[in-house]
Amino acid sequence: MIGTTSKSVGTTEPGAATERPVLTFDRVGFAYGDRTVMRDVSFGIGSGEIVSLLGTSGCGKTTILNLIAGFLRPTEGRALVDGAEISGPGPDRGVVFQAAALFDWMTVAENIAFSLRCAGRPRRERRQVAEETAALVDLAGREDAYPYELSGGMRQRVGLARVLAARPRVMLMDEPFSALDVQTREDLQEQVLRLRDRTGCTIVFVTHSIDEAVFLGDRVFLIDNLRQGQFEAFAVELNAPRASSENRLAPAFLRLREAIYRTMRHSH
Amino acid sequence: MNRNTVPWRYRILAVLSPLALLALWALVTMQELVTPILLPPPLAVLAALKDMVAEGYSGVDLGTHVVSSLRRVGIAFVAGAVCGTMVGLLRGRVIEIDALFLVPSEIVRPIPPLGLIPLFILWFGIGETSKILLMFLSIFLITMVNAQAGARACGLDTLRAAQSMGASGWQTFRFVVFPTALPQIMTGLRVAMGTGLTILVAAELLGGDRGLGFLILDASSFFRTTYVFAGIILIGLIGFVSDLVLVALRGRIIHWEGKR
Ligand SMILES: Nc1ncnc2c1ncn2[C@@H]1O[C@H](COP(=O)(O)OP(=O)(O)OP(=O)(O)O)[C@@H](O)[C@H]1O
Ligand SMILES: [Mg+2]
Repeated sequence: MIGTTSKSVGTTEPGAATERPVLTFDRVGFAYGDRTVMRDVSFGIGSGEIVSLLGTSGCGKTTILNLIAGFLRPTEGRALVDGAEISGPGPDRGVVFQAAALFDWMTVAENIAFSLRCAGRPRRERRQVAEETAALVDLAGREDAYPYELSGGMRQRVGLARVLAARPRVMLMDEPFSALDVQTREDLQEQVLRLRDRTGCTIVFVTHSIDEAVFLGDRVFLIDNLRQGQFEAFAVELNAPRASSENRLAPAFLRLREAIYRTMRHSH
Repeated sequence: MNRNTVPWRYRILAVLSPLALLALWALVTMQELVTPILLPPPLAVLAALKDMVAEGYSGVDLGTHVVSSLRRVGIAFVAGAVCGTMVGLLRGRVIEIDALFLVPSEIVRPIPPLGLIPLFILWFGIGETSKILLMFLSIFLITMVNAQAGARACGLDTLRAAQSMGASGWQTFRFVVFPTALPQIMTGLRVAMGTGLTILVAAELLGGDRGLGFLILDASSFFRTTYVFAGIILIGLIGFVSDLVLVALRGRIIHWEGKR
């Protein structure tokens, strides 16, 4: 089922395997002043699902993430998490930023355990969670380093770990790996897939790379024109375990990649 | 520039430049190009300094002069820096507070402290209060402007990252806004310390019989130029040492600066 064309996907696609979506956009509209970015955007994203957002620069991908994160409020319609309207940022929805946005004055461990510090958890627990989470993203042993002592890929890993430590329901990732070399990027992509399998976290992943979108996503939303609520949802059907680099050469991967590429070419 | 990797060339030049100035000064005075009343030779200044260390100045020993100046600057600096930094940080984050302070501080800021002296004498007399308040005002304004700029330097992503990890308004301020503002706050402290010492001499115009500013003014009214120079050098040294301390402190606290 490649290329499910849908103006709006109101309910979760089969394969996402839940009754109720974790994230719901119900005819969401958003405008910066009188500059409309989106109108009538509706979709549902199921628990544990990864959705890749693909689309031209300026089409509104970051705006969608900001709405889910609660940094922005819809000017029309409703954005829901677990059926409740999103009223502001919160630790149930973690954000991994393109430029990591780490706290340079804190060590890796302090960065990772920041959410626990805010929640008033004791020092020992913070340290323990920081160590466990650092190990999860291959940063064991670097807990006491400062962000400026790390490479770009390691910094992104800290950005990921600090979100994971908050045990969010939803992770929002805005082109987090776009500045990294191919090997590091593919490595981190596989890590994201494994983390999803382990934590059951729901992920919305913005990218400019078709390959990345297909490799990571359970579905790929190819954004056409958000001002008319238009995007296309492609279901990804790759073999489990998804975190296998073999999948990058699988016929299903190549076919879907081609289909998305052709759709992009036609609509622009 | 990392303190551990300061190149040798930098250190050598930093040491050579004051020595060169001293040599030039000695040369000019030895050739008797200017009268000693205007520019006494370095050795005469040294002699005046020695004399003051041994005998004091105008019946008060040198230590007392130094300490009373340090005390005034110290009180004004700590009080001014704490208040200025707090108000500045608040102005940087809360627009209502910014609005509250905007007009008053912009009106007071361009007034030269010397112009305020007559007013301060009227209001607060010629005692310690006037002297300290004069310095306090300048230090307050400088640290406020810097802290405000520092608080504004916080990037949107950094703030949002904190909020999305559950930080409250106060936690965001304490863990994110304040550290981001620290480099600029420290710069403000350095500038304020320098300005505070500059105003010290003016503040001690307000009367009294001790302090380095008093010493300089008193000596100059009797054309005892060697003592004027000795006093100036002492103030300069205080400024130099306090700046070294602030720079060292800055390097220790703000280890992350310029490393990205
Ligand atoms: N703060 C803002 N004020 C006004 N307009 C904005 C603002 N941020 C974004 N926009 C506009 O909203 C539209 C969508 O921006 P958005 O950042 O969501 O795009 P994007 O899909 O993430 O693009 P990119 O792939 O380049 O990151 C753009 O036309 C942009 O000009
Ligand atoms: Mg974007």
